[in-house]
Amino acid sequence: MAIVEARGVGKIYPMPAGPVEALRDVSLTVAPGDYVAISGPSGCGKSTLLHLLGCVDTPTAGSLLFEGRPVLPMGEEERSRIRLRRIGFVFQRFYLLPMLTAWENVELVQSEAGMPAAERRARTRELLEYVGLGERAGHRSSQLSGGEMQRVAIARALANRPGLVLADEPTGELDDETGEQIGDLFDRVNADGTTLVIVTHNAALAARARRRLAMRSGRLAVSRTMVAP
Amino acid sequence: MSPLQFAWRSLSRQPARALLGLTGVAVVGALLFDMLMLSRGLIVSFRDLLKSTGFDVRVTATEALPGMGPVVSDAAATVETLRLLPELAAVVPVRFGVAAVEARDKKTHELAIIGGETRRRGEWRLVQGADLGEGAAGRPDMVVNRTFARDQGLAPGSIVRLASTLPAREFRVSGIVEFPFEAAGERMAGVTLNGFTQAFPAARPDEADLLLVASQPGVGTEAAVGAIRRARPDLHAFSIDEVLERLRQAEFSYFRQVSFVLATIASFFALLLVTTLLTVSVNQRLGEVAALRALGFSRRRITFDLLAESALLVGGGGLVAVPLGLLLARVLDSILRQMPDLPSRLHFFVFEPRALALHLGFLVLAALIAAAYPVILAARLPIAATLRRESIS
Repeated sequence: MAIVEARGVGKIYPMPAGPVEALRDVSLTVAPGDYVAISGPSGCGKSTLLHLLGCVDTPTAGSLLFEGRPVLPMGEEERSRIRLRRIGFVFQRFYLLPMLTAWENVELVQSEAGMPAAERRARTRELLEYVGLGERAGHRSSQLSGGEMQRVAIARALANRPGLVLADEPTGELDDETGEQIGDLFDRVNADGTTLVIVTHNAALAARARRRLAMRSGRLAVSRTMVAP
Repeated sequence: MSPLQFAWRSLSRQPARALLGLTGVAVVGALLFDMLMLSRGLIVSFRDLLKSTGFDVRVTATEALPGMGPVVSDAAATVETLRLLPELAAVVPVRFGVAAVEARDKKTHELAIIGGETRRRGEWRLVQGADLGEGAAGRPDMVVNRTFARDQGLAPGSIVRLASTLPAREFRVSGIVEFPFEAAGERMAGVTLNGFTQAFPAARPDEADLLLVASQPGVGTEAAVGAIRRARPDLHAFSIDEVLERLRQAEFSYFRQVSFVLATIASFFALLLVTTLLTVSVNQRLGEVAALRALGFSRRRITFDLLAESALLVGGGGLVAVPLGLLLARVLDSILRQMPDLPSRLHFFVFEPRALALHLGFLVLAALIAAAYPVILAARLPIAATLRRESIS
């Protein structure tokens, strides 16, 4: 069963100057273990598609299934629960909470999901070690570099053992070398069994994905599947 | 992490702003607390003063408040009639008059004289010397307050000569006392009814400005008032509560109105301050809120976080407001009590648990209302649009 499946989805934003069609008839199936990169020029609808796949937003046309369940009939609370337990998000601007330490940022989403304290502690320790920041657990985001912040954000995205991790321009704020390191980390995350969908302008990062999709004017233009090495 | 812990960490993120907010809430909260104390302060203080005399009923000739209307005639007979009522424990006739005395600097000063019987209850409090007796022949006893004693250099055994009578009458000071209703700087003295007649020869001997009545223990004030009204329907009996109610509707209503207006203004400013702080805070972290929502934090959780933040600001400021308000009340009270002719034991600001409970109630309400707009702003935030806008900006 696909993790997420979009069937002919469209998205129209009502604007004061008239409606804007951000997505047109997009169909996409993301299977367990997939590593998908979506590229395209600014404003082509990449982020909109990512938000739909992540149940952050709902399409105005077509249908969307998450783990086989139609998303459209779900209420906001149910979609929140799915996002919390089944989906991980990585943002371009990290969005770590600056008043919390790296440890607390990773633990917060587990706490919100109701994970027992002992399990939370073990999982947080494991994840910070996993992203190579075991020694920086007590540091706040202001004391971390951009790359370190993104590593914490990835650890946070993995905290509730999601079926799908979505990343929106995860190297957009990083230099090339740090971007490479984040790419390596994503490779490892996917190799360890987590499904990844990444929206990026970074050709090097997109090249790491097994499926590379190109978007133009709200449509999926090209779909290229790479054979795993 | 609970919403309260989360809110605490959010506030500690910008400590200067949080401190400024807490200070603002503390200051307006102190003003609000003071206004709540002022709204009933005079009434409570006056009630305590009336109760301190030990008499719970006042009887006058007309509906005018004691000392402000016609006198009770046939006072002796009236007192005898009332003393026979089983509901009453004590009945004391009281007279008021103003005489003149010559001070050591040869200037003439007014002396307020209360005529009564030997002290039964709390008509005054003996500070020095002996209480009022009938005195030696020709020189009735007089008790004087500290102001008068200090002005004239009086001590127990001293002689007071009234300049308002011809020939001048002399009284022997038996003691120094404190009258419950004496004003700051007011010269006051107490004499027996016989002494009062000598101080004011023109006064009719069988009259009383007021009858002080104490109900029998266990019978109750209302029963005593009822018994007096039945026995002497021509007289007017007031319980302390009835006296206070008349003062509340007339003389003290000004302070209630002022306190209501100022309390409303203080509450409005507290609301405005916290709403502004929270709204600015939410607007500055719209991206973060949208990210939290994308990560699966529910609207309810975001709402609780903001409510907790509001509660911490208002609660923290409100707690500081209590000692600050008490301190401010002391200063304001000492200023207001300098008004002339006010009993020096009367206070404008009186602490009551009721005022504290109301203060806390107002603060809870303020925290809820102040959080309403920022909560709506955060909970209704379009997640995708906000994330897109934030990443573009």
